[in-house]
Amino acid sequence: MAEEKAARFPDPHEFQVPSELEGWEEMYPSHYLFSKERGEWESKQFWYLDKIHAPEPMPPLDLIFQEAWQISLSQYTTRVFCIPPAQGIAQRMVGPYMYICAIAPPPEEVIGEKAQRFEKRVFYVFEHYDELWDKWLTKFKALGNEMEAVEVPKELPKFVPEDQVLPAPTGYYVSYDILESFNNLVNQIFKGWQYHFEMLNLTYLAYLMFGDVCRKLFPGIKESAIGKMVAGAYVSMFRPEEELCKLSRLATSLSSVANILKGEGMADQKIAELEKSEDGKKWLAAFDKAKDPWFYVSCGSGWFHYEGSWINSLDIPYSYIKSYVERLENGETIERSLDEVNKERDETVAKYRELIQSDEDRDAFNNAYNTVRTIYRYAEDHLFWVEHWFHTIWFAKIREFGSLLADNGMINEVDDIFMFNRYEIPELLTEIATGWALGVDIPVRGDYYKAKVDKRKKILKAASEWNPSPALGVPPEEVAEPFTIMLWGVTTDKVKEWLKGMGEVRPEDVSELKGFASSAGIVEGPAKVLKRLKDIVDLKEGEIMVCPTTNPSWAPVFTKIKAAITDIGGLTSHAAIVCREYGLPAVTGTGVATSIIKTGDILKVDGDTGVVTIVKRAN
Amino acid sequence: MEPPTKPIPNPLKLEREMDYTLDFEELNKNSLQMVGGKNASLGEMIGAGIHVPPGFAVTTDSYLRFITETGIKGAIFQALSGLSVDDVEALNNASAEVQNLINNVPMSDNVRVAIEEGYAQLCTKCVVETVPVAVRSSATAEDLPTASFAGQQDTYLWVEGIENVIDSVQRCWASLFTPRAISYRIKNDFSHEKVLISVGVQKMVNSRTAGVMFTINPTDGDLSKVVIEGSWGLGETVVSGSVNPDKFVVDKVLLEISDKTISTKHIQCVYDPDRGEVVNADVEPDMQSKCCMGDYEIKELVKIGKEIEKHYGRAMDIEWAIDKDFSFPESVFIVQARPETVWSQRKKESVIGKKSGYQLLMEQAMKRIKIQG
Repeated sequence: MAEEKAARFPDPHEFQVPSELEGWEEMYPSHYLFSKERGEWESKQFWYLDKIHAPEPMPPLDLIFQEAWQISLSQYTTRVFCIPPAQGIAQRMVGPYMYICAIAPPPEEVIGEKAQRFEKRVFYVFEHYDELWDKWLTKFKALGNEMEAVEVPKELPKFVPEDQVLPAPTGYYVSYDILESFNNLVNQIFKGWQYHFEMLNLTYLAYLMFGDVCRKLFPGIKESAIGKMVAGAYVSMFRPEEELCKLSRLATSLSSVANILKGEGMADQKIAELEKSEDGKKWLAAFDKAKDPWFYVSCGSGWFHYEGSWINSLDIPYSYIKSYVERLENGETIERSLDEVNKERDETVAKYRELIQSDEDRDAFNNAYNTVRTIYRYAEDHLFWVEHWFHTIWFAKIREFGSLLADNGMINEVDDIFMFNRYEIPELLTEIATGWALGVDIPVRGDYYKAKVDKRKKILKAASEWNPSPALGVPPEEVAEPFTIMLWGVTTDKVKEWLKGMGEVRPEDVSELKGFASSAGIVEGPAKVLKRLKDIVDLKEGEIMVCPTTNPSWAPVFTKIKAAITDIGGLTSHAAIVCREYGLPAVTGTGVATSIIKTGDILKVDGDTGVVTIVKRAN
Repeated sequence: MEPPTKPIPNPLKLEREMDYTLDFEELNKNSLQMVGGKNASLGEMIGAGIHVPPGFAVTTDSYLRFITETGIKGAIFQALSGLSVDDVEALNNASAEVQNLINNVPMSDNVRVAIEEGYAQLCTKCVVETVPVAVRSSATAEDLPTASFAGQQDTYLWVEGIENVIDSVQRCWASLFTPRAISYRIKNDFSHEKVLISVGVQKMVNSRTAGVMFTINPTDGDLSKVVIEGSWGLGETVVSGSVNPDKFVVDKVLLEISDKTISTKHIQCVYDPDRGEVVNADVEPDMQSKCCMGDYEIKELVKIGKEIEKHYGRAMDIEWAIDKDFSFPESVFIVQARPETVWSQRKKESVIGKKSGYQLLMEQAMKRIKIQG
């Protein structure tokens, strides 16, 4: 009977978190908690750990992106484009980890109603994709600029400035401004995330459709082959790196600039040095021109405040430029040949097409391919604009608030603001606004909030040592939600794999991981776990990189490594694409690689099958 | 009993009246009637630039001359007349009688001279005094609709010296009259006298590793895959299924090896110089679980497989061998190729149907993935 018990996931209401996490509930909004009131419904659903969006314990304010996508992703499926049998994805927190659930299909009559709307609305999008994309980008840039323009008061002045009183009083002052500005930022994030899914659900649907057609024609075709046929080369996510290449080339034409950039100093020293010469100024002007938007790129996934962005960690782009300049001077080519990438993709498609035997099938393949290609760019382009550019602006603005709160004794450090959720921050802001209004020498409850920050940091730290259950509740009979299938790969096999992992597996007992077979090839070598981009200084030639995810800010890493393994990311993720280009094996989206694998472990990476084997554990 | 009818003359044959043997290099797919499917296919591949071990075909004419000139023809067809598939004993007796006749009568002079000459030339070409050869029957396949049936005929490996070659040729001819072949023809109403056979005499590959290759995945009909099975020694262990071979599945487009199964290969088919024949020997313990070929060899085979497939315009079933006496890529030989018959016959109809992108998208949107708990 013990076995039978192990083959079920725990009921979400009975699931216990370790005692060190006590008090975690207060970090998150109440609708994120499993609750008695919704207990009957919650117990019937299947909840699985969202390793893609919440691979690490969730800082309270960073939950805002999750809150926003829960609404937006779901509404496009259920109410906007009406994907007939699919419903939304619900989220819950258990400790600082997020579980999600693809809700079961609606009643048949609703499916029928949705089908009619789907045809009308969805086909229109495909027919007008290019113009819709132009409109999307225009309005998205406008939104980001609006956020950038939000003024966060630098301080609470002793007296309001004269010009706000005379000749005509503005009527509202800094005590109101700080509340309004914060509300505006929150609203903009929610709006930006509404835009985020404008075409994404359809993009994923089209991808799944093409994948299905390919598998019907070629039963053994690999996901990596499908990804290769669909992926584009000229996508926004690659622009930051291209801009770096251009700046590096410019530097080599200005020898004094190249020499400064090749130096060992920090970015700010180099900038000060460059300021002194005409050539240096010319180069800095070019850098400034490129930086917005292209260096508003997260050093991670863009989902967490602590990842940082090129623009506020200039040492990162400067270190890349240093190595690019050196490589250029050695006569190497640093640019990816995008035309080449495109050509290779077209050839791949043509070769598969040639293998198809019947004319009807060839037509269907062409139709499916053209359909997915019409829209697939969206999956690749939106990412830069939302998760990178837009989030970078958000984090910077929030830090201005953090600074204000720290200056007014509410928190110790700027980043402590991320330890409060979006509903709590107005409370802190209201208190300082009130204190300021009340007059001089008004005490605040700073110690109360500082204690909260300390406690929450401890909870998050304790949580990072804990491996929560991969799933909770009852496995579903069927899944129709496109993201669930494509991003999380929820299938019978996956559920079985999770069930297998239920018997309290310790990380050190795991010897094999599965992920997407993103780039072919098999190699063996020592692992280097890089939790943060800043750890790359430790990376040695020929190591196998194990990291949460990569993006173009990691690009120069790929010339050093033997293979890549990521926690997050599918077949068209950055790591997958770059590894295919460099001919390095890659297994992406393993979910757990960075928590299971330790630096120094000897790994075998099989990019053909998506299996990573830990051959020998480091001592 | 009707006298045996002569095969329909073809232009090549008219030009060269006395073609008892033909070098593989002279053959192509149009030579099928004279040299049978296997030999014609080898010639066709040589013409297409595929690396095939040299050899020559003993033509169907030789067989006809042989049974005529030795005077055994009448006795053969006499023995075969009036047989019934139900009378197994009579069938077996007739088969034994006919095979005995063919095996034991001395080779007719004209044919002997031709084979001697062919073998001598092959030895000269290979710079070996008595080159070891594989002697294989090559059916004209007029009465044999499936390739698998053709495989019933005999193969003699590592045959050395002219007397042994001639003996093996006669045995191959005799294989036309196994009980199974006789009963098959009776069942399908084919005349025993119209059936012809040719024999191929081909330089042995001194193979380190050998096996088969399909330019389609035989398990699921996937046209985008090449499936290779290989094992140590001569390919016979793989062809006969007497070892679990190593198996590789390679994508034709990306040239990625998507599946690699390394099996424990206990035995290998090798030439035993003491016994002067090919034997199944034990594989050294440390070699049993070792992959029998390198990725570079797999990729070379895939390249060749794709060329052969392209040349024939259809999925192929290929036998190959890697010679230990040559350096790569000259070491990789193709020893046989025939059309794949199982999937090729049924794969013509559309699997998706006539559908627009929107129809496909709508279907996808309606899809639900079943989860079995």
